[in-house]
Amino acid sequence: MQAALDNADLLARAKTGDAEAFRVIFHRQAPGVRRFLGDLLRDDAAADEGTQETFVRAHQKLSTLEQPAALTGWLLGIARMVFFEHLRKKRRDGRAQAPEEDGPALQIDRAPNAETLMLTREADRMLEGALESLSEDRRAALLMRIDHDLGYGEIAVAMGWPLQKVKNEIHRARQKLREELQPYLEGRA
Amino acid sequence: MTGHPDIEELEAFAEGAGAAETAAHVAGCAECAREVEWIKAEQALFAQRSQPQVDGLWKGVEERIANTATVPAPLLRRPHWHRRGVAAAGAVAAAAAIFFGVHANRARIQEITGTAQPKPPPVAQQDQRAPAGAAGQPPNGHHPHLDAKALAALDTAENDYRHAAQVLEAEYDSLRPQLDPALAKKWDETLTRARAQLAQSRQAVASDDARARMRVLDGYAEYLRSLRDVIQDSEEATP
Repeated sequence: MQAALDNADLLARAKTGDAEAFRVIFHRQAPGVRRFLGDLLRDDAAADEGTQETFVRAHQKLSTLEQPAALTGWLLGIARMVFFEHLRKKRRDGRAQAPEEDGPALQIDRAPNAETLMLTREADRMLEGALESLSEDRRAALLMRIDHDLGYGEIAVAMGWPLQKVKNEIHRARQKLREELQPYLEGRA
Repeated sequence: MTGHPDIEELEAFAEGAGAAETAAHVAGCAECAREVEWIKAEQALFAQRSQPQVDGLWKGVEERIANTATVPAPLLRRPHWHRRGVAAAGAVAAAAAIFFGVHANRARIQEITGTAQPKPPPVAQQDQRAPAGAAGQPPNGHHPHLDAKALAALDTAENDYRHAAQVLEAEYDSLRPQLDPALAKKWDETLTRARAQLAQSRQAVASDDARARMRVLDGYAEYLRSLRDVIQDSEEATP
């Protein structure tokens, strides 16, 4: 089934209760969802749990998904809600600090050499640190765009934001990301 | 081209799919050329990341889906309204309990009112019996007779639904001012549609028409589901 069916076929089958179709959807989509939640939560166990919760909820709400092409954005939208619930629970439990505001982004006036970013564990660690410096919403929106290749319209639906706000937030997130990556780039130069 | 290309055009160009006009602009604009280099660098940085292993997660998903199959779906989601003030939480939880309680007792109400739906026959049989009456109606065209007990059960159920709707509407009204205006507009539209469907189900319903009364209850149930979803999504959108 996995190779033969596209998302539309799989969704149609899963909506009728075909468990195998939903399993295939899970195996296609779960790596992206797990990475998205890992980037937001910074906690492997919580990201695993969140991924499972996302797909359990998705299974319950499958009938509400009308556009098969919107599947990835729809799942990431559910994952984002799971993330915020997790965050609120942690805050209620007093184990988490409210994130600091991103603050004004610096103007980055040097372009990177892509070669210098190819690509080491150091770069990966740097990227993780840079992502962590973003507020949750900006991080989610940026990841949807760059890491999961959603269109701006899809992100607007998943985040519940107007399109212009999506563009503004991603722009600010990019500026902040570049600000964080700049020392790494200069060190490599 | 007047001004700089939109970010989406620059992203497309960075991926090698941009328009010739964008390419021409980038060739002559240091600012856009720098932006394109950054976009390429970001893409390269994210592309090298490894995919996490998820094979071990499916079993847990499968088990949880199987476990939830016997529990009404609305009960599976944690009611965020418990975090609010005690009075509001109590009221909304009570409304939810009424909603779910009435909904769970639907079979009992159907039994009392004699409106339980028989399993639909195959399509061919439906065609043969079509002249006997409209879909969903008994062949003789009469609705089931309702005694005082059945009427009382329906009245109670409808009152409970109405009360639950009022409580949930008040909860949404308290959340709405904190919402993004576009989001609030979208959810207002959702609720307007649900109210319209409810109003349609309530048109010209005789108090002793069991099937019509059940349709009204179904209309309330759908409206309450919409309210519940909107409230949950509103709370999630206002961390």
